[in-house]
Amino acid sequence: MNLLWWRRVLSLTKKELLQYSRDIILVIATLYFFTGEVFIGGKGVSFDLINAPIGYVDYDQSEASREWLNKLRQPYFDVKGSIDNDKDAQHYLDNSSLLGVMEIPHNFQNDLLKGQSTDISFQLDASNVILGNLANSYVSLSNASFNQEWMLKKLKINDIDEMESPSVDAKKMILFNPEGKSSWFMAISEMMTVMTLLSLFLTAAILVKEKERGTIEQLSIAPLTPFQILLPKILAVEIILLIGVALSLFLIVIPVFEVPFQGEFWLFFLVSAVYIYAMSGLGIFIATVSKNLAQVMIVSIILIMPIVLLSGAFTPPEAMPEWEQPIVHFSPLYYYINMGFGIILKGAGLNLIWTDLLSLFALGTVLFIFGISQFRKQFEN
Amino acid sequence: MSIAVEIKDFSKSYKKIQAVDDISLSIQTGEIYGLIGPDGAGKSTLMQAVAGVLRFNSGQIRVFDQLIDSDKSAEKIKHSLGFMPQGLGLNLYPDLSIEENIDFFANLRGVSSETLQQRKKMLLEVSNLNKFKDRAMKNLSGGMKQKLGLVCTLIHQPRFVILDEPTTGVDPVSRRDFWEMLNQLVREENMTALISTAYMDEATRFNRLTVMHKGKVLDSGTADEIIERTPGWLIEIESKNPKELLPKILSHFPQAEEFGQMIRITGFDIAVEKAQKIIESLIDGKKDRWYFVPIGLEDVFIHRLNHVLDQPETVTQMDLNQGLTPLMSTSELSEELIKAEQLVRRFDKFTAVDKVSFNVSSGEIFGLLGANGAGKSTVIKMLTGILPPSEGSGFVAGHDMATSSMAIKESIGYMSQAFSLYLDLTVNENIDLFGRIYGLSGRRLKERSHWVLAMGHLENVQNTTVGSLPMGKRQRLALGCALVHEPRVLFLDEPTSGVDPIGRREFWQILVELAKNTGVAILVTTHYMQEAEHCHKLALMQAGKVVAYDSPKQLKRDLKERRGSVLSFKVSNPYTSLSLLQKSGYSKVALFGSRVQLFSQTVTNTRKTVSEMFVNNNIEIENIMVLEPTLEDVFVDKIESAIK
Repeated sequence: MNLLWWRRVLSLTKKELLQYSRDIILVIATLYFFTGEVFIGGKGVSFDLINAPIGYVDYDQSEASREWLNKLRQPYFDVKGSIDNDKDAQHYLDNSSLLGVMEIPHNFQNDLLKGQSTDISFQLDASNVILGNLANSYVSLSNASFNQEWMLKKLKINDIDEMESPSVDAKKMILFNPEGKSSWFMAISEMMTVMTLLSLFLTAAILVKEKERGTIEQLSIAPLTPFQILLPKILAVEIILLIGVALSLFLIVIPVFEVPFQGEFWLFFLVSAVYIYAMSGLGIFIATVSKNLAQVMIVSIILIMPIVLLSGAFTPPEAMPEWEQPIVHFSPLYYYINMGFGIILKGAGLNLIWTDLLSLFALGTVLFIFGISQFRKQFEN
Repeated sequence: MSIAVEIKDFSKSYKKIQAVDDISLSIQTGEIYGLIGPDGAGKSTLMQAVAGVLRFNSGQIRVFDQLIDSDKSAEKIKHSLGFMPQGLGLNLYPDLSIEENIDFFANLRGVSSETLQQRKKMLLEVSNLNKFKDRAMKNLSGGMKQKLGLVCTLIHQPRFVILDEPTTGVDPVSRRDFWEMLNQLVREENMTALISTAYMDEATRFNRLTVMHKGKVLDSGTADEIIERTPGWLIEIESKNPKELLPKILSHFPQAEEFGQMIRITGFDIAVEKAQKIIESLIDGKKDRWYFVPIGLEDVFIHRLNHVLDQPETVTQMDLNQGLTPLMSTSELSEELIKAEQLVRRFDKFTAVDKVSFNVSSGEIFGLLGANGAGKSTVIKMLTGILPPSEGSGFVAGHDMATSSMAIKESIGYMSQAFSLYLDLTVNENIDLFGRIYGLSGRRLKERSHWVLAMGHLENVQNTTVGSLPMGKRQRLALGCALVHEPRVLFLDEPTSGVDPIGRREFWQILVELAKNTGVAILVTTHYMQEAEHCHKLALMQAGKVVAYDSPKQLKRDLKERRGSVLSFKVSNPYTSLSLLQKSGYSKVALFGSRVQLFSQTVTNTRKTVSEMFVNNNIEIENIMVLEPTLEDVFVDKIESAIK
């Protein structure tokens, strides 16, 4: 790999970047992915329960029932109002205009005053599992709070401190995301998903474009090894995506979502570079089995799904079925997410992540060698 | 005869581009009418409009008395139309077999199953596809795909067929086959046909034709009429020493061209007698000989266009020699730069290349001819070092291809029919890229860039993206990029497909100069027989084997010795004449528009007997010509005897 060798690689890299910059749609799409898409991901996709529309059927119409209903407060719930009967309630749930309906039975107050336990029912639309779970637990909290107050009232105690019975107060210390903002998690995840998508797709697209045009033939007849033909494409994708991820970090993730970047920037970019390298091997493989851009798209989508789902981005590996857990280690995104969140939110240094980094590099090298060998094969006939 | 199609004042523009400008023509029933012209002449636009699949700006089109002015009226005649769009087999389904393709088109056209069976049988027989009817379309050769395309177009027995460039990209043998099949079907089914082609030498196949260029009509009529309207002559000189003779000839006839070992002069403005005298005074009467050759439509076309254009963009000798440095001294000139010895390449059980041997010396242009799939590309792939041979050996520029493929890659230039340029980069960026890939930099790169720009006449478009350049310029740029590192060997894979005749002629001028002045060895493949005439040596491949290997002159001479000359009769009733000749036992009779042609070793005798036979059958003979066999005749003859 002498000087001439590198000069050839560099002139080809320059060519890739020039070609990329002339493809306005691709440039705009990349910019959008790294900014708009990350923004929407962080803002729009929220796992917080905010303003969930709720209705109630109050058959009791008593002081106690109103008191209970007052517990359903904003910002979690948006109480839309009273509903006359079960049938209407069912209707609103069916057409999704309400997420849940509280039903307070007759004699709610009377039973409580008589000292009898009573039931209220809460019908919940759990088709969105996450929101459903959250709504469920907030309603339980409200109920607990009502019970506590009722009990205090019955014991004629005005302030909880007057009560001489001890209670456990859990002092929680939430690390790394003290406010528990899902927007942090989502913005960073989205940025990494964009990296996954683009590192796979751009590499494959650049390569398949040469195949479609027939220019790859010219390159293969030039004094270049397959590695020398492929390396510039990967270098170009590295440059484009590292600039992209920098834009994403410094324009969206940090200023808009106020994510505190705890670690070292250089380390994050190094990890990102290794990740792009790992994914580009798969990209080369996609380009060798595809004949045109449309096929690249479809094969990319097929590969993206397991990479994302098995990465632990949305499900921690521990929650997966046992047989699935080892497979996680074959998803490059698993390592990227581990290291990325580590560096950004926990301030992890190289000493903490080096095993993951080495594993990712090794996995990337295997994929890259596989990609090159497939690429070489296609010239043989 | 009645009129089948009438086109009046037809114009069509796409946004700002005027594709067809005010064209009128009429096609008689039973006629094979041709549209001839280079890419971008407007042939496809006109054909699509006639087929009723394209709306147009102004003018009138009538097909069988039905005015086509709306989608509705076009629908009325579609059942009697057959339309085969451009692109080899593009309207067929690659994964379906021949029979399934035919059935599909029949169902689409609502052909009853009884008629289908009967027509399918007939068409498969005429096209010789019967044996392969279960083979998937994608596994067919180019010629077979083309025939299948025609079969599918004819399955519903249309009265009028429109075929858009059916013979483009197909070798001469398949082309001849295709014309025979078409002639037979048009006659038997009493059809009318409108056919376009980019090959000027196919003009004689049509009853009448229109020559188009840039959306306008250049001329219409029979091929003979068009040629006669521009009186000119064509002389070929066979010389023992063309290199010395050429400069002398050029000083009198600047349009003279070097064709391999021959010099070819076309004249339109000089009287024949005067030219004859000059030539006789220039040549060595004992060693050299000269003769007239019938002038072709292509020569007339180029001549006419040079008159139409104010300043034809021709590359002069001066531009070429500028900065061209001889790569080696004359003493080395006979060095063998490409050497193939018993090359064999097998893919699984299939032998793609079978014991191919040839060699090409410096300064030589070598033509590798053959049908698609004959093994040409595989030979090139082996010689350029991207495919190892199964057996045999090869040397390129002195390097053994078995051991030093990288060294070979450094010393060759390669240009393919796709003109592998980056369309989204500018001219300069392309030159720069290929220069650097081949290891140039600094001053050397600058010098060579200048040379490429000068050679290709590209100075004015240096910073234009290649995608917006016309084909001719792209082609010259691709050649320049292949030559940027001054390779000693140049591989050209169908370098002129899709380029108009003027562009092709300029391109070959450059090649001839290059070979002569720099001593580069050139290996070229082409489907244009006229281009093959430029080569010093030809190898003709068939099913992986070389079936002929000699100079064009010698190949034609051999054929003449074996088969005789070509007798060409222009007759009033070509179809009857053809069947008469075939019945009387003459083999190899071919139909060219209103001419029937046959080989004869006893020209005077045959001429007499055939003339008498025609007269006895009330066939008028307009004229009789005796022609020398062409390279196409050689090609067809060699391949046919190889198949047997």
